[in-house]
Amino acid sequence: MVRWGQRKSPWILHFNTGACNACDIEIIAALTPRFDLERFGVLLKGTPRHCDIMACSGPVTRQIESRLVRIYEQVPEPKLVVAVGSCATSGGVFNGLYNVKSGIDQVIPVAAYIPGCPASPQAIIDGFAKLLKTLEEGK
Amino acid sequence: MPDKERIVRVPIGPQHPALKEPESFMVDLQGEKISAVTLRLGYNHRGIEKGCEERTYVQDVYLVERVCGICSQSHSTAFVQAVEEIAGLELPRRAAYIRTLIAELERVHSHLLWLGVAGHEIGFDTLLMYTWRDRELVMDLLAELTGNRVHYGLNTVGGVRRDISPEQVPSILKVVDALEDRTKYYIELAMTEETLAQRLSGIGKLSKEDAVLLGAVGPTARASGVDRDTRRDDPYAAYGELEFQVVTDDRCDVFGRTVVRLGELMQTYSMIRQLVKQMPDGPITVKAPLRIPAGEAVSRYEAPRGEDVHYVKANGTDKPERVKIRAPTMANTQSVAKMLEDGYLADLPIVVAAIDPCFSCTDRMIAVKTHEDARTVGWEELVQYGVRWYRERGVDVSKIKMRGDSTA
Amino acid sequence: MSDAKTVVAKLVAKFPSLTGRVNAQRATRVWVEVDRQAFAGVFHFLVKDLEFSNLCMITGLDEGADLGFIYHLARNGGLMANVKTRCPKEESMQTITPTFPGGGIYERELMDLFGARIAGLPEGRNYPLPDNWPKGEHPLLKDWKPREKGAQDA
Repeated sequence: MVRWGQRKSPWILHFNTGACNACDIEIIAALTPRFDLERFGVLLKGTPRHCDIMACSGPVTRQIESRLVRIYEQVPEPKLVVAVGSCATSGGVFNGLYNVKSGIDQVIPVAAYIPGCPASPQAIIDGFAKLLKTLEEGK
Repeated sequence: MPDKERIVRVPIGPQHPALKEPESFMVDLQGEKISAVTLRLGYNHRGIEKGCEERTYVQDVYLVERVCGICSQSHSTAFVQAVEEIAGLELPRRAAYIRTLIAELERVHSHLLWLGVAGHEIGFDTLLMYTWRDRELVMDLLAELTGNRVHYGLNTVGGVRRDISPEQVPSILKVVDALEDRTKYYIELAMTEETLAQRLSGIGKLSKEDAVLLGAVGPTARASGVDRDTRRDDPYAAYGELEFQVVTDDRCDVFGRTVVRLGELMQTYSMIRQLVKQMPDGPITVKAPLRIPAGEAVSRYEAPRGEDVHYVKANGTDKPERVKIRAPTMANTQSVAKMLEDGYLADLPIVVAAIDPCFSCTDRMIAVKTHEDARTVGWEELVQYGVRWYRERGVDVSKIKMRGDSTA
Repeated sequence: MSDAKTVVAKLVAKFPSLTGRVNAQRATRVWVEVDRQAFAGVFHFLVKDLEFSNLCMITGLDEGADLGFIYHLARNGGLMANVKTRCPKEESMQTITPTFPGGGIYERELMDLFGARIAGLPEGRNYPLPDNWPKGEHPLLKDWKPREKGAQDA
């Protein structure tokens, strides 16, 4: 947990695995002034190599599956994956369609699930706040 | 970054934090100019059309709504319209008005979203923050009227599931007034800020002839002088009873696409006021059979990105025989290669963003080829390259000062 | 006479074999059903003479031994002409890309999802199925089912 201590703000990588976009937009909305996820010290970063948390949306399409794994492997330890939205959690409304795996945890380990279709900015903030608290408490 | 002497193939993607969606571009560079582009789509393909055949019409309303998380009302309405036509249902006028109201509010949230994203792609993040803060006004309104910020669950076969109450009308008008004021400011910004005009003009050129030949739709086509808008040409819902202008522009470039969307917002505010003022009384739904008689129909809808086309074939059961969807971005991607040709790599992010791409709509589904000299470029890296490239040439949009707070 | 009815009349006048196979479903919708041999002539007449300058999309249909194709054309002013034809699964339709350069993507979609054969299409990437999708599996065919619920394994 050295890295958590060194960095006050967890850096998040946002990865869309074939989502409709609603959750992705709500993640970005969570960073805009009204919701301001940044006050929790959360920063959105563009590269896997510098991130602590992967925020994934979407049900994981077949086309993107190997890239999801590759990106996950590029994130250095310690790392956590958050499934944002119903699709990332269980496939959502796309559960069972021929080109989806029906959820992020079918492919990589997930630490937290934020439900919703889409997950609202408030739910996203709540989810991240809870996760960060858990980390602080050293669980 | 690129080598001046040779053609370098630069694969870009498929992870684009700024665009939020996975797609892939292979760009051939000669020096800093793009000589060829190939686009690889399919990362968002989920199998929705097959899914529609395996689910009932009622279930499909919820599935089709989620083709896209921005224009969900577009897809949902286009779908139910086709089903209603096959079933010979007459949509109550009040339902038509409510659908149109949510449709136009969706256009507002979508165009404001686009304005912010466009700002980000040229390094003008202040614009992103302001426009997305303004956008929250309409998101709150949509949530108040329908129960959700996106994926409204408003439509059903035969009408709408929620009514608008008289108590909600003042909220609607208040939001429209506030956003119209803000949009006027954005128009003023676009028209008076030299730096912005410099940054957006003359890039992503698409002639009127090419726009027609390549099948461009929506604001992308209208910014090349193509006078087409489904709301006027093939009216659906309540559009036949509204007065509005179709906004076109002759610039044929990214600046034109900006001007068209801003103009459309102004038209939309007027339409929303008309809808609220003229909303007829009456039922919001008509009884629809679970089993739809055999038949077929094509429904067209002017989504924020352009014409959305749905074909439905019914076979007498409670499940469709076939559902085919052509979202607007699929039509517009055919023009992107043309727009990028002979342009600078520095302009790629904003030129692509200017068609307002919704790859989610397109794929309802980037192979990175390795070549000698090929590098994979992340999208954000490309955006930053563009920002630096322009700054070196004296164009720095991040220096633009924006005025004041929203009236919320 | 409405726009749609005028188009119907012109089609039947030019192609008498279309009698009874063209109708105006409503003011902005014309439907035409044509044999494969006569398709090109009717298609070009609509595009060149009757100015249906926009190809919205091509819908594929699994009709057993044949594939059905619906070419959804539109023109300025809102009128659509939906041209239906069919082709045996092992035979080819000719590409419409010389007329509609952007239309190749709709044809590639038919090839991936229905196994349609389209002759004359320029080289290009398939769309929309993933690179590791097994050959010969066309998900929109009626008898196609995933081996298990959810995505097939490679």
